[in-house]
Amino acid sequence: MSAPYTLVEALDRLPDGDERGFRFYGLDREERFYPYASMREEAARRAAFLHAAGLAPGDRVALLLPENHEFVLTFLAASVGGLVPVPMYPQATFKSVDAYLDILAHIVEAADARALVAMEANRDVVDKLATRPEMQGRRVLFAPEAFEGPAPAWSRPRVAPSDLCFLQFTSGSTSRPKGVEVTHANLVANATAFLGPRGLARTPDDVGVSWLPLFHDMGLIGFVLGTLIVDLPVVLMPTAHFARMPRRWLELVTKHRGTITYAPNFAYQLVEKRVRDADLASLDLSSLRVAGCGAEPIRARSLLDFAERFAPCGFDQRALLPSYGMAESCLAITFHPRGTPMIVDRVDRTTMQDGIAAPSSAAAGDPDVLEIVSCGVAFPEHDVRVVDDRGRELPERRVGEIVTRGPSVTAGYFRNEEATRAAIRDGWLHTGDLGYHAGGNLYVCGRIKDLIIIKGANHHPQDLEWAIGELEGVRRGNVCAFSVVRDGTEELVILAEAARADAPRLRREIAKKIYADFGLQVADVVISPVGTLPKTSSGKHQRHKTRLLYERGELEKHAVEIDG
Amino acid sequence: MTRPELFEMFQRMATEIAEKDFSDVTEDSNIQELGLDSLSTLELVGAMERELEVQIPDEQLVGIQTVAQLLELVEKRMSA
Repeated sequence: MSAPYTLVEALDRLPDGDERGFRFYGLDREERFYPYASMREEAARRAAFLHAAGLAPGDRVALLLPENHEFVLTFLAASVGGLVPVPMYPQATFKSVDAYLDILAHIVEAADARALVAMEANRDVVDKLATRPEMQGRRVLFAPEAFEGPAPAWSRPRVAPSDLCFLQFTSGSTSRPKGVEVTHANLVANATAFLGPRGLARTPDDVGVSWLPLFHDMGLIGFVLGTLIVDLPVVLMPTAHFARMPRRWLELVTKHRGTITYAPNFAYQLVEKRVRDADLASLDLSSLRVAGCGAEPIRARSLLDFAERFAPCGFDQRALLPSYGMAESCLAITFHPRGTPMIVDRVDRTTMQDGIAAPSSAAAGDPDVLEIVSCGVAFPEHDVRVVDDRGRELPERRVGEIVTRGPSVTAGYFRNEEATRAAIRDGWLHTGDLGYHAGGNLYVCGRIKDLIIIKGANHHPQDLEWAIGELEGVRRGNVCAFSVVRDGTEELVILAEAARADAPRLRREIAKKIYADFGLQVADVVISPVGTLPKTSSGKHQRHKTRLLYERGELEKHAVEIDG
Repeated sequence: MTRPELFEMFQRMATEIAEKDFSDVTEDSNIQELGLDSLSTLELVGAMERELEVQIPDEQLVGIQTVAQLLELVEKRMSA
């Protein structure tokens, strides 16, 4: 293993010249190309302004920057200045502004950010945020205006590999957000692993193409920090443009001869559905050697449908690269070996209920068969095990919790010892995900924690349940949120106890509330008579049991009236 | 384009994107109750932007609640 180094040192080593660098498409659709040298210069300039604003090495600075180039340049400025950037979700389209402000205020407070850097475009949100008590005593700067003019004099601090590089707030429980501590050493270890010889094996000809949001590890590390560390030029498109027209993603790959791209499962499914036959002729995906998939459960069918649909555009099925990872391990934990066909394990649904992944001989499409995609193997110097509830390693094809250790793994959550102790035990990061090993490969097949993952975003059921508990006619604690898998897609189900007379109104209000606060569509709202939901002796409901009853259709519910 | 035409376009595009029936929807309907998630709603905005050759910045979509509010925003951008 080479000696650990920092993102700042990596930045300094990037080649000069106008050839290599980052290409940004702005929200205004303008294209901006920054050669590495100008990124480096602008980062140092902005760092001087940040120091002049009173920030000192080690201080956290929250970033609320909807434009990708502003985000990247300010993030790097913070790094060069020895500060700790805290990326935040920059927009709340269609969602309730209050719920969004709650999340921002909680993150700013949990990170104890000295300053917030935002843009004029989100000044409305920032002005509202500034009135919250959590924002007292914190500075607000606007990019790029705060960085205009000649840079003030400053002295560049020394940044060590063991220093915090940034805090990655997981879309954790909104009331208790958790900031994953990522050091420079963690970041460099992960980037050189997943882009190195046993990962994607970066070549000088690679071009990354991404629309992934930069407040999330897959976009931020996968396509900004990791790529900078290994000198891999990228083209970045705003997530908003992908959302408005999904096929623009593939048009960008075509235009820039992209060789590496990544997306959650839902995006492959969406673009396959949205592309019109007439578009296929103008798409050329033959340059793609890696079409990675991660951040949410992977459904073999979605990826294979994508491969089939785009085969006429030169897409090579071997580019599909299922991956497993999480912010607590920087980004990547295991990758399927690049350039090899995806491996799909077909196991018996019945034995899986007992934690045994027995190979199934039933025909494809048989409801007794579960198709699980291999996420490959761990990187050098990292270990991945599957363990039972006492931490003992399980043999192949036994389902247990996935745990990992290695130089990419975080030391813990920022100023949150309780959460850190729960996640990292005896040096192993407990992922909360269920999986098994077979033929040396890791298969991820479920979750221990009640996390709901929809379209790549994590949601904690208690957050949804609390939000619903605020509605009139619902008793706090008598709500249960969970997800079920239908046709390979995770869907949200909400159960609430209420009087029959309130049922029609609550069905509407619950769906509305969940959309407003979380941007989620509820697949099914069930209103049950009071006293129906299973409770433990302490009165706390049991999500697992409720889900089971729901799936079996054994849950008592108020009838849905047919009133058009 | 008249307002009823604009509304009809909204209904047609929502039906295509969500693969659901939106014939019951009115201008007073709350977008949050239509059964679209936030990503699909943005896709719907994108489809209207292309058809009408307008651009609607994300920050202007913050706080939009009803179909009428969205259509008013679209009209405002068209005349801008």
